[in-house]
Amino acid sequence: MEIKAKLKDGVTTVKAMAKHPMLTYDTAKKQGVEANFITHITATVNDKVVLDMSSSQFLSKNPIFKFSFKGANAGDKIVMTWVDLLGGTETSDAVIK
Amino acid sequence: MERRKFLGFGIFAAAAALVPGTLSAEDYRKTKPDVWTAHTMEDAIAKMYGAKPLIEQGVTLTAPDVAANGGAVPVDFSSEIAAKSVAVFQSSNPEATVCAFTLNEYSVIDFSIKMKLKQSGTIIVVVEGKDGKLYAAKKSLNVALGGCEG
Repeated sequence: MEIKAKLKDGVTTVKAMAKHPMLTYDTAKKQGVEANFITHITATVNDKVVLDMSSSQFLSKNPIFKFSFKGANAGDKIVMTWVDLLGGTETSDAVIK
Repeated sequence: MERRKFLGFGIFAAAAALVPGTLSAEDYRKTKPDVWTAHTMEDAIAKMYGAKPLIEQGVTLTAPDVAANGGAVPVDFSSEIAAKSVAVFQSSNPEATVCAFTLNEYSVIDFSIKMKLKQSGTIIVVVEGKDGKLYAAKKSLNVALGGCEG
């Protein structure tokens, strides 16, 4: 996952992109493979949850998303994890600038 | 061959068991599975929040009037409302729910996502206020090229 996190006026804004095909049930059926898409994404800073997102097959392929939160400092590490329908998972981190 | 299949399944099952579920405040796919299989927005919202009226104020939703590429339609939404959760629904795809966010004291409601839309339809963003009321914003848009193939 690619993560960019920037702090401005007490609010951290994060842009992230998860590399995932996000295969819908329809497409998977046509291709004769199993559907698979990211079902849950979390982000934590200092073990505190700052993003908790449940998602469906309708996020775009390689979904890009942006979110904001308060309470972090520059230099803190943000850790993001996604989980997909078939149990795959990936964890990435970045330092808040 | 049979044995190989069996072993493969065992590895997959073990991986599924290791999924970190403890980090999340609430995984709506587990706690509210019906929300994700609902076909209409009304049904999905009712299964998520119960049958409550939507108050159409306090939420800003930005999306293009015409989406050239239905495979990645940019949708931005923000709100100043003190809220417990935010959820996004649409009427263009076979199922209505796109995503749901659980909020806490650190959250700022200012999100951008990209979603797939198979055909023209309506997007609704619902913000569940701490007062228990549902605030919402709607936007209808045309999709030039359907994007459920991605």
